[in-house]
Amino acid sequence: MKKVFGLFSVLMILSMLLSACGSKPAAPIVLKVWIQWGDNPQQIQALFDKYTAETGIKVEVTAPLETDKILPSLTGSEPPDVLVLSGGDLVKSYYKENLVEELSGAVKAGNIDLNDFFDAPLNQCKVGDKILCLPWGADMYALFWNKDLFEAAGLDPEVPPATMEQLAEFADKLTKVAADGTIEQIGFIPDQAWGHSDLYIQQFGGFWYNEDGTKVTTNSQAVVDAMTWQQQFYTKYGVDNVLAFSSGWADAYMSADYPFYTGKLGMYVDGEWMTGPNFISQFKPEASYGVAHFPPPADHPERANTAVVQGTVAVIPAGAKDKDASAKLLAWMMSPAIVAEEFCFNANLPTSKTAAKDPCFTENPKFKVFSDLMASPNAKFIVTTPISLEFNDGWTLVEEQVLHTGADPKPLLDQLQAEFEVKLADALK
Amino acid sequence: MDEVQTKSRKFSWTPKFKKWGFRDRTNFKIGMLFLLPWTVGFLVFTLYPMLASLVYSFSIYHSRAPLEWNGIKNYTDLLTDDMFWKSLSNTIYMVAIGVPLTLFSSFVCAVLLNLKVRGQSLYRVIYFLPSIVPTVASTILWLWILNPQQGILNTVLGYIGIDGPNWMTNPAWSKPGLILLGMWGMGSTIIIYLSGLQDVSVNLLEAAELDGANWWQRLWNITIPMVSPITLFNLITGVIGMFQYFAQAYIFRGFQGLGYPLNSTLFYSVNLYQNAFLFLKMGYASAMAWVLFIIILVCTLLLLKVSDRFTYYAG
Amino acid sequence: MPGDEMTASNLSNSVQSPRENEAERRQRVSQRKRRNFMQSLLSHAAINIIGLFFLIPFLWMLITAFKSNADIFHTPPRWLPYDNVLVEVNGKQLPLYSVQTEAGMKQLAMVKIIEGVGKFVDPAYPDQVLTYEIQQGSTKIAEPMMHVSFRWQNFPDAMNRGSRPGIGASFWVYFKNSLVIAFFVIIGTLLSNAPVAYAFARIKFPGRDVLFVIVLATMMLPYQVTMIPLYLFFNNFLHWGDTFLPIIVPAFFANAYDVFLLRQFFRTIPEEMCDAARVDGASEWQIFTQLILPLSVPVLATVTVFTFLWAWNDFTGPLLFLTSPKNFTMALGLQDFQGQRTLVWNQLMAAATVFTVPIVIAFFFAQKTFIQGIKLTGSKE
Repeated sequence: MKKVFGLFSVLMILSMLLSACGSKPAAPIVLKVWIQWGDNPQQIQALFDKYTAETGIKVEVTAPLETDKILPSLTGSEPPDVLVLSGGDLVKSYYKENLVEELSGAVKAGNIDLNDFFDAPLNQCKVGDKILCLPWGADMYALFWNKDLFEAAGLDPEVPPATMEQLAEFADKLTKVAADGTIEQIGFIPDQAWGHSDLYIQQFGGFWYNEDGTKVTTNSQAVVDAMTWQQQFYTKYGVDNVLAFSSGWADAYMSADYPFYTGKLGMYVDGEWMTGPNFISQFKPEASYGVAHFPPPADHPERANTAVVQGTVAVIPAGAKDKDASAKLLAWMMSPAIVAEEFCFNANLPTSKTAAKDPCFTENPKFKVFSDLMASPNAKFIVTTPISLEFNDGWTLVEEQVLHTGADPKPLLDQLQAEFEVKLADALK
Repeated sequence: MDEVQTKSRKFSWTPKFKKWGFRDRTNFKIGMLFLLPWTVGFLVFTLYPMLASLVYSFSIYHSRAPLEWNGIKNYTDLLTDDMFWKSLSNTIYMVAIGVPLTLFSSFVCAVLLNLKVRGQSLYRVIYFLPSIVPTVASTILWLWILNPQQGILNTVLGYIGIDGPNWMTNPAWSKPGLILLGMWGMGSTIIIYLSGLQDVSVNLLEAAELDGANWWQRLWNITIPMVSPITLFNLITGVIGMFQYFAQAYIFRGFQGLGYPLNSTLFYSVNLYQNAFLFLKMGYASAMAWVLFIIILVCTLLLLKVSDRFTYYAG
Repeated sequence: MPGDEMTASNLSNSVQSPRENEAERRQRVSQRKRRNFMQSLLSHAAINIIGLFFLIPFLWMLITAFKSNADIFHTPPRWLPYDNVLVEVNGKQLPLYSVQTEAGMKQLAMVKIIEGVGKFVDPAYPDQVLTYEIQQGSTKIAEPMMHVSFRWQNFPDAMNRGSRPGIGASFWVYFKNSLVIAFFVIIGTLLSNAPVAYAFARIKFPGRDVLFVIVLATMMLPYQVTMIPLYLFFNNFLHWGDTFLPIIVPAFFANAYDVFLLRQFFRTIPEEMCDAARVDGASEWQIFTQLILPLSVPVLATVTVFTFLWAWNDFTGPLLFLTSPKNFTMALGLQDFQGQRTLVWNQLMAAATVFTVPIVIAFFFAQKTFIQGIKLTGSKE
């Protein structure tokens, strides 16, 4: 009896060991870099192999990452040594929960020149004197338009709308509705692929936080105006019709069937990577399109070239094993040469002023639109707070309701204001 | 020995007042050894987590700081949380509509499959096969089928002149879409009903026919009561399972946020997952888990109580 | 029941009642025959229509898996897969386009299209390059020609790629991971549940019934209650995060469902056999291994099949515990793939088909076992 039981338990333990062996990687000193984005992880790994060549420390890159895995990775016991996030909005939330390191020490130790960073992307990482993250590559958004459709609608294909009101007019001309009410072609969809409320609200002169992130301002006039302006593009042709027409478009984002390429969508807002080698040139090189800064409202021409800088940022998780090694790796990542190399390849905007001088960022006229936007005095950064995680969810819901059901924005924004006013006050205590 | 057994047939409580004989002691030791995997598993994977989550439900969880006691505030916060009520109502929708509808449909299908038609076994395979398609695959497939533009459901509806709704972007239609997905996979319930139907005594049915009962009367008065134990069992397991509905809803929203569109697919379990792993409010989520447990217990007991009047157990 | 011709009522109706005359009887019989026919027609129609509901999505998954990239988003969706017609020019395969030229519609091979202008070549005169605009305003000048074609290439394309652009681990890796996990879970399940079930079935020890009630009670516990502490326990205390262990190890500690199923079966083995063996001096372990287990091969097969189905299908476990793509199971990999903004539906369906195939194969080999198991769990009790 005991003999058999002993055999039984040995069998069990053996099985467990076998399965454990097969799945756990065992490596001595290897730094792990996790990147939330990553259209070409092989290239990124090759980039980090240069660090290995310089210092002899192996770097293992994991990219891209599922959003859901970010928080567990930070709170778990095996966080990466450097984590690169797609956006900086959640960093303050993470810092509040002690999940990321404050980086002033790392900046000093690594001789990182903070003045070399563009203001807008760096500002989203700063809380007073504390530095919670360092920007690594930036994104900006501008207006894309289909030149063929412009021509067909009788508009000059080389001239984009100059004001938001004109944009609405152009959109009307570019929209074709069949006799039975179904849409065949649509001029503009404000939240195609992503919501861009932050961009539109800035055009109206405000944001959903105040300048220093201490107050919630979701029911301010700028926000209400922006949501009302966006809503017309859905309600004019019937919210259900527009939704039915545009359903599944986001699925086709990286394929030749993306509606912008197939002539179903006249204008929309998207980022600088589209002009690079990985998107339009790859999927639809024959596309005839134009890019220009998103137009300001007619009564505020001084807001021309207003655009919101969204950045990818690098953080050091609080649970990283060797903070010094992480800091050194971070400093290397931030050096202008590396920034130039990585973002030239990926067609993103460089966050280092020195790197921005590299000709690759100005030789493509369509990409240059974005470089100019970033250097413009009207470039704004996203204000973030410790409650950004929950707020973003609440905001997305309101945006959906306003745009996808045609609900009245004012009461919803009031509700949002009331809810998050309290939460922000609590969180800032 | 046997007399002792027959006296206490229903329960054999560990006798406090009776001394254990030698037989009892050795049997107990042997029994415990055989039960060892379950006992250890119960302590480590069931009892410990239950107690731990109970403690968490009264605290605020910090990942790099000690647990902070919060009293019953987590539970009272639930009462004022819109998302809690929304997720509860979404789940109750599925439990109250999805489970009975699926059960009823599988019964109907079983009745149809019990008819003597040509190719009966082929039909049975066809009805059953979708139920073994893995959940992830079938959910993704139905996402494609329910696509308002490229999906074949709206195309087929179009053939008969119906303008299909936006299954995935219209919050009123997302849950019906999920129910359709569930019904596609009800093959195993159909098989259970089928075997139950085949157990209904043919003599009883024939006698009823001779007495002049038509097929509807036979169905209503004999067949349905005879399979009522199956109905009860599947109703209870269906309800318990539906309260924990998670994977399909998680996959259904694609790359949008959880609960898309407009929180219509934010079910209780999805909301719990969101709070625990995305908002990192593990104490709050633990409170949610215990509330779920209590709700399931109450529902099951209610169902059992009510069922006494409606189920018939053939002798 | 409708459709059943030889029912007692049919027979009884053809017996003449003394007060009817011949004509009335015949009318009643034909009325009944017509009603039976209608019922039969309706039930056939119902079976077939409902059968289509079950069958078509399955077929659609397969059809989409064979579609070419150009065809997936065709509106309205076509029931057969289409692909570009290719023509060979100077040793290269080029897609054939139908182009509106000055000399009428011509079929030309497309060499390149940049910024709305296309370079074409007449296959008959491959050296002369013709240039046409693809589209003028909203009129299409050149359109690709398509024909029905099954793109088998989708399957290797799907399986060789990762779930997101550039991820090193391919679907083959996910497939292997699913197999490994399923294998160990099956072993653990068989090893742990059988002894436990036997103890509950045939070992008369005090406290058995109380413990069994507890076992059953655990079936009522929703997994959400234990999920969070277990997650923290596995990740932070045992450091088993991102390994298969949190999914495999619990399988070695028995679970209520399989214990219940096996116990029900063991109790059908006559008690007298066990008693006789005990009288002969056999220990419980010997009875279990030499008497019960050999007789239980069918139910153990059922448990194996069901456990495989459960482990292959499991999504929540891998979702919680597996974070790096190289450890994903196929279920997780498929969901990861589908959660991207870059949906390649044909490859997704191809991967989903490959994911489903092992289960379907298992079903056809173990058809009886499947049905038996479902009946065991569902019908009685």
